[in-house]
Amino acid sequence: MDETPFQMDTRGAFSFPENHKFDAGFGLTEETIDYICDVKGEPDWLRQFRKDALRKFNEMPMPTHWAPAEISGVDFDAFRYYLSHGAKPSRSWDEVPDDMKRTFERLGVPEQERAFLAGVDAQYDSETAYANMREELSKKGVIFVNSTEGLKEYEHIFRPWFGKVIPVGDNKFSALNHAAFSGGSFIYVPKGVKLAQPLQAYFRINSESMGQFERTLIIADEGAELMYMEGCTAPQYDSATLHSGVVELVALKGAKIQYVTVQNWATNVYNLVIQRGLAMEDAEIRWIDCNLGSGLTMKYPAVVLQGRRARGEVVSISLAHSGQLQDTGARMIHAAPETTSNIVAKSISIGEGRASYRGEVKVLKGMKGCKNNTECDALLINASSRTDTYPAITVNGNASAVQHEASVSQVDEEMLFYMQQRGLTRAQAMSLAVNGFINDLVKEFPMEYSVELRRLIDLEMEDSIG
Amino acid sequence: MDFSQNMSMEEAFALAEAEAKLNAALQESRERFEQAVIPNRLNEDWRFGRPHKYATALAELLQSSIATQGEATVQHAGEAAVRITAEDEDLRQTELLMPTIGSDALLGMHLKRFGHGYALYIEESTPEPIVITYRGGELYTPSTFIMVAPGVKAHVIEHHIGIPGSCMLSTRNIQVAEGAELKVELTSKGWERYLCITNIQNMGGKVSHLTSHEDSSWVREETVAEIYTAEADTRLFSANSLGGSAVLDQHTKQIHHVGGATSDLLYKNVLDGKATATFAGNIYVAPGAHNTDAYQSNRNMLLSEDATVNSLPGLEILADKVRCSHGSASAPMDEEQLFYLCSRGIPPYEAQKLVAQGFLEDVLSRFKGE
Repeated sequence: MDETPFQMDTRGAFSFPENHKFDAGFGLTEETIDYICDVKGEPDWLRQFRKDALRKFNEMPMPTHWAPAEISGVDFDAFRYYLSHGAKPSRSWDEVPDDMKRTFERLGVPEQERAFLAGVDAQYDSETAYANMREELSKKGVIFVNSTEGLKEYEHIFRPWFGKVIPVGDNKFSALNHAAFSGGSFIYVPKGVKLAQPLQAYFRINSESMGQFERTLIIADEGAELMYMEGCTAPQYDSATLHSGVVELVALKGAKIQYVTVQNWATNVYNLVIQRGLAMEDAEIRWIDCNLGSGLTMKYPAVVLQGRRARGEVVSISLAHSGQLQDTGARMIHAAPETTSNIVAKSISIGEGRASYRGEVKVLKGMKGCKNNTECDALLINASSRTDTYPAITVNGNASAVQHEASVSQVDEEMLFYMQQRGLTRAQAMSLAVNGFINDLVKEFPMEYSVELRRLIDLEMEDSIG
Repeated sequence: MDFSQNMSMEEAFALAEAEAKLNAALQESRERFEQAVIPNRLNEDWRFGRPHKYATALAELLQSSIATQGEATVQHAGEAAVRITAEDEDLRQTELLMPTIGSDALLGMHLKRFGHGYALYIEESTPEPIVITYRGGELYTPSTFIMVAPGVKAHVIEHHIGIPGSCMLSTRNIQVAEGAELKVELTSKGWERYLCITNIQNMGGKVSHLTSHEDSSWVREETVAEIYTAEADTRLFSANSLGGSAVLDQHTKQIHHVGGATSDLLYKNVLDGKATATFAGNIYVAPGAHNTDAYQSNRNMLLSEDATVNSLPGLEILADKVRCSHGSASAPMDEEQLFYLCSRGIPPYEAQKLVAQGFLEDVLSRFKGE
């Protein structure tokens, strides 16, 4: 893929000679699906399911009427739909560009992880590093496998919820994912089990976690609690340029799920992800979302508040520099009485970057005592930066309260001046101001992420100002 | 092109250039109508607006052989008012260039029925408000043009009054020159279907625009305010009390072509019965329109279980040093206020009416500049 509609950012946009054991070639057809099913050894019902989804995908129109125009740049025939790193590609650390090495250095990414992230021969020994933790998990009855294994080994739990939160025909990209999915996680936490440690996509063996058509299903049984983390703040090399994941969360009565995503793909990547959670009675789902990379991101984490007193929350940070469009947001569907939700979204546009907030809040008919609060704040760094806000709020009935506030601001010149006359460079001052802008939200992220995030913003500011 | 003898070379060139620009714009606009389709569900500007129901019906009526019928009157205008005729090419061109919010196809149909209503050329400040009244028959398609000269202060009130079963598609073009001050009020009443497309062009004056609609089954308002100089001050207000199964669909755009100007919007609705109100606003700050101040606020009070509110307050900011904010809130009536009034011996029904009135009163007093 040499031609992308984005202005190329050199950082992260590099490639290695590839040597995949399984490669289904370009474009998505029935043959591609047969190939995927054969390689993965999938049952017939799944093969048929994928083919039905493919038919739907072909029938459905692109969502051009509301989506950013950039989406029409997606050429489905120009992508590869299945790559398996069965044979490990061999690359050496020396081949990694200096730019990327510098970023790793600054972020303080551990040595082993650096190699893994850079796409260098992934000798990332998750087995030993996390063996103790895995043992503990299985003692508690927690299932944590990849989606392929989940469908094979735990069909009785997986299948009833498979495609229930996000149906095949939900939209074109959901159909695409149902047809071509591979990778992603399947997690089941039994009744009343509360996990103190976050689960990370990293430490699952046979990791296909970075799959381009990732499919994740997390089920928290009654009263269970867990936090799941995926992605990383470091720039990630990836040969696949279309990412269309589906993440489904199910929080049964009184359960709590926190899902943390941090994404920093290279700017040649389309990141079109569907994330939706179903919260039953007294359950809570929180999406903590951070988008730093990719050329076009379209991601609107959703919570369907299905049970009484359920709670949903989306905390979102996005950063768009030149050549990037971050079209992110949130959806909250209040389908039960006394449900509450909160959305806090902050975006930063740098250079010619464009950050958009697109949200939907719906209080269905007859639902009493629902409350939603939405705040979105945008920060513009340069004169050519752009920010948009497109919320849609629907309230039925007189027993719910919904409010939305948005503001757009710049970094205060006086503040910068004050810091500069105290001896900081302009870039340092800017970085401090930007970090201050997202400070409240960064606290919501796990420790290591928030530290990395701060350093990354330092770097971005140095590059664009200093 | 006719060259007058006193014109310098530069002036002649400037005129020729302006004329070429105008012709290009007119051509572009004609193409826009050729390409426009009757609003359907893929038309994002008709989101929540049920275009298959309302736009289709209105388009059918406009394309039918039913004649345009209605009565236009004007009061206190003096010399300023001119009755529009189908032969008035300048005004027709002005309408041809008007922006809509998703209803180009319908504006195209309105143009085919052009030739009704009043144009006001206000060159002197008037002591009394000028009142325009349009009374519609089965289908009425008037146009209003209001042009206020530099430094002039004016107040215009428009009443659009329908009869049971009547439909109206009206267009309004308001141009305010440098240093002028204009207050415009629009009220509509008693329509089966009512669509009003308004375009405010602010060249550096102060405009306050207020709309309020009552007793109509379906009302759609498309208001585009365009700001051309840093001195321009534009304020958009609306206050509505809806009941029964009334549908109100309001769309606004505040377009800042240049920096330094101020615009503000406050739309408030009280909903009872099975009423539905949709508000879709947008603030657009063009590249380079730095130091813009633009605000937008939509507040809704829901009084019944079956009332519905859709609110889409949007922002598109392409400039720097901009102070922009928008807010939207939808909530039931404040119990404490009700309790207070009831404790003073006011019956609950009356108390509810008072609180709702107070909620809307705020808009009216801000329009009056209090």
